[in-house]
Amino acid sequence: MAMKNRLLYVISVVALVLPFIFRNVNFQHIMIMLLIFAGLGESWNIITGFAGQTSFGHAAFFGIGAYTSTILFYKFGISPWVGMLLGALFAAVVSAIVSYPCFRLKGHYFAVATLAVAEIIKQLFVSWDYVEGATGISIPVKPDSFWMMQFHRSKIPYFLIAYVLFIVSVVIAVLIERNKMGYYLKAIRESHEAAEALGINTTRYKLYAMIVSSAVTAMFGTLYAQYILYIDPFMVFGLDISMKIVLLTVLGGLGTVYGPIIGSAILIPLSEYTRAFLGGTGKGIDLMIYGALIVIVACFEPRGVFGLFQRSKKRGAQYAKTTA
Amino acid sequence: MFLQVILTGALIGSVYSLVAVGLTLVWGLMDIINFAHGDMMMISMYTVFWLYTLLKFDPFVSLPISAGITALLGVLIYKFVIKRVVNAPGLMALLATFGLSLFIRNFAQFLWSPNYRFVGESILSGKRIFLADLIIGLPQLAAALGSIVMTFLIALFIKKTKTGKAIQATAQGRDIAELMGVNTEKIYAITFALSGICVGVAGTLLSGIFPVYPEAGAMYGLLAFVIVALGGFGNIWGAFYAGILIGLTEALGGFYLGTQFKYALAFLIYLLVLQFRPKGLFGW
Amino acid sequence: MKKLLVVLTILLSLTVLAQEVIKIGAIFPLTGPAAATGVKIKYAVEVAQEIINGEHPEIELLLGKSAGLPNLKGAKVQFVFADHQANPELAMAEAERLIRNEGVVALIGCYHSSATKPASQVAEKYGIPFIAGSSSSAALTERGLQWFFRIAPHDGMETVFFFEYLKYLNQKYNANIKRVAVVYIDNEYGVHAAQMVKEKIKDYQADGFTIVADVKYPASATNVDIEVQKVKGAKPDAIFHASYIGDMTMFVKKYKEFNVLPKVVLSYCGGYQDPQFVINLGKDADYFAGPNATTSALFKKMPILAKINEMYKAKSGVDIDGPTLEDFASAIVIAEAINLAGSTEPQKILNVLKTGTFMAPYFVSGRIKFGPDGQNIYSASVMTQILNGVYEAVWPEQYQTKEPVPQFPEWNKR
Repeated sequence: MAMKNRLLYVISVVALVLPFIFRNVNFQHIMIMLLIFAGLGESWNIITGFAGQTSFGHAAFFGIGAYTSTILFYKFGISPWVGMLLGALFAAVVSAIVSYPCFRLKGHYFAVATLAVAEIIKQLFVSWDYVEGATGISIPVKPDSFWMMQFHRSKIPYFLIAYVLFIVSVVIAVLIERNKMGYYLKAIRESHEAAEALGINTTRYKLYAMIVSSAVTAMFGTLYAQYILYIDPFMVFGLDISMKIVLLTVLGGLGTVYGPIIGSAILIPLSEYTRAFLGGTGKGIDLMIYGALIVIVACFEPRGVFGLFQRSKKRGAQYAKTTA
Repeated sequence: MFLQVILTGALIGSVYSLVAVGLTLVWGLMDIINFAHGDMMMISMYTVFWLYTLLKFDPFVSLPISAGITALLGVLIYKFVIKRVVNAPGLMALLATFGLSLFIRNFAQFLWSPNYRFVGESILSGKRIFLADLIIGLPQLAAALGSIVMTFLIALFIKKTKTGKAIQATAQGRDIAELMGVNTEKIYAITFALSGICVGVAGTLLSGIFPVYPEAGAMYGLLAFVIVALGGFGNIWGAFYAGILIGLTEALGGFYLGTQFKYALAFLIYLLVLQFRPKGLFGW
Repeated sequence: MKKLLVVLTILLSLTVLAQEVIKIGAIFPLTGPAAATGVKIKYAVEVAQEIINGEHPEIELLLGKSAGLPNLKGAKVQFVFADHQANPELAMAEAERLIRNEGVVALIGCYHSSATKPASQVAEKYGIPFIAGSSSSAALTERGLQWFFRIAPHDGMETVFFFEYLKYLNQKYNANIKRVAVVYIDNEYGVHAAQMVKEKIKDYQADGFTIVADVKYPASATNVDIEVQKVKGAKPDAIFHASYIGDMTMFVKKYKEFNVLPKVVLSYCGGYQDPQFVINLGKDADYFAGPNATTSALFKKMPILAKINEMYKAKSGVDIDGPTLEDFASAIVIAEAINLAGSTEPQKILNVLKTGTFMAPYFVSGRIKFGPDGQNIYSASVMTQILNGVYEAVWPEQYQTKEPVPQFPEWNKR
């Protein structure tokens, strides 16, 4: 346990210092996106990795977070920090409402239901004139201000906010994993029936997991909107966002705190750099390489990259057991 | 007008069905979500397009060739990718097929450019049937009938042939099937080939009415997920009826509520139906 | 340590001077759903680069004769391409990367208005000129940005152009066009165009125009059967389309199948303008119409355009189309502005862009000048109609290559 914690501390310190050493804007941008997606992966991991309920619709909560703060700022001039909290609250409420009918469904039926919910919510926003529908919203540019969450002179403030949110998501994930709730969720993942037989109120714990997961996801949505300064329903509610979260967590290692961090640290720089070097060719080579590498990792390291680390540590008897 | 809308919905739905049948075979048998399913269909559409452009083959002549190519592609995908991830924990198989989908799509762009293309002429193009005041385009009708026939043949194959029965047995339980002497590896490969044939035929039938481009399979693939789940995983006739139901929802909902909502309504139908049938229309 | 840095910086800048390459960022959708268009634009920008850098006395442009930029000692221009995959986030990230890492002195792009919005905000932040060639949303030039310019007419201008054209048809050909249907894709481009129709039609109600159908379809449609039946039910005289090439082609096929016969179909800058439209549809593409910055029928009248097209066709295999030419123009204009400024200093380039008039012999308007909001005040469009597989210029009359046909004949009598 202590060993585990130490590694986490090292990762957090390294992540914090890097952008101060490499002051290249593009590198800082990659670090920001990396932390945002690692944090999104952590929060998605709670419902899918721990509780075993596959969600293909987390873009819905991400988008709600982005839209809540943006609308409050754009229409009423309210600080995005307030919007971030309200967005998290709002996403939690929405997730509670939609989860209730969805939790009756098991396995892939649930997964497809989350996808359906996200697509429906996206269409509602596309058709909703009050939030400017498909036209999207350009967030008005204001002078640098912490209260208005806009920084134009340097990316460091955005990075620090992303970092704090990321740490929050990791702490929540660790707390859940190491407490009663984590054991309950894992029991539900392993066997629904057995968990119920043990007297665990499965619906309630799945609901808790969903609410926490969606609230944290929404907070990243607010940051994302303030960072890009433009949102439309296709970019924040899109299946692309949902799938990106799923992919990097699974790639890193599902159901572990390290998984999303590893996955994000691999996939985000990979996609940014291949695009920067090869995207200009217009032949799709960058995405071909990206896709092929994902396939290769999946085929040769079926437990995720985290599995590779674990395996190298525990060679011998256990190795034989895990691969049997 | 109402009848025309119903008819349109049913015609569209039957093509959805065929795409979904291919997906449900794999999903039901191996519990694997194949994200590259729509992209296999895109490959079939390109096959038809190139045979038409270079050799002046009519799409209906190309049908066996394009179905053969996607069947082969299915087997290759199984041998080189799926086989390695079929027993992997978590969602690793999904990750693999997602990467595969990205690869195939961009490989298509690399080879054939991202242009939107059409198969200009076929023996049916531009021909129509008039029934009272109903108008039915022959390419659309052929696509629908072809899909229904194909679904019927696949169902028959699964039910009647020895291989089909082996597929059923493997779906019930791999270990038991193996004990009974079924070569499950081979069965998996055959199932992927069947799945490939389904999208191959669907892609060929669609090439006359839908543009051919690297992302052509994306939306069909997404709808196929919902249809497969709506019908119940692994259930061929379930996928068939669910496809028709989604087609009708899209047409009626689109016509009376606004066409921008047609896919959102299809997703809504899924959520509603599953409240009463949590394992799909025909799930067990 | 500090001294060493200074020396290094000087050395670095010297090598840059020696190479004499001026980098300009070009952000377009080179993969993803709009890749077809993005890749064509890339070819056009490459042609612009060739014209600027090579010696092309046959092309009578300011930068045609000389190799490189004469006022900067023949410095060469390099367009650095980046891909935004139709995703605004990537457009923003790439704009920043190009400015800070590649050291570009100006940006052009991004085709999609939704990508142009955040990318041009980045340019504004760094004080770098941004010229949009073909992004058509009117909202872009309403943001009060200092560093943003646009060449294409925006969708508000296009809408007025549509109604004026209909009035012309009614007066000259007694076309009796009144009922207008708007068919558009459910994204920024389509929705904004439709808003413009609803806004501008108020000025034309006295002329008898009314909107009889408003059909919005999903951005990734697998079919358009129901949409076409809605249009048919409304019996429009004119259909305004805001569609991309894939969906537009499906619509035409279905108009034919369901025997929809309007008098005119006018398309916003999008699928209709793509020459692939005629290649895909053959005879069925006839009689469709739309504003276009250029058409192959004009090549005979405009020799410079013909020569540009020759170079472009060698790369792309098709004739140059309107949106592509507009992005070509953005590349030429930014290079001319840098040359006139005689410097890569952003403020000097900005002054030239704000005050100068640029000769554009490849446009029928012949020149480009940006108004105070950054919008090109000379609309480069002519109304074109496809007749016998050729995009003919049909209006205004002084550019006419053929007379317009304000009626669709029966589909089976083509």
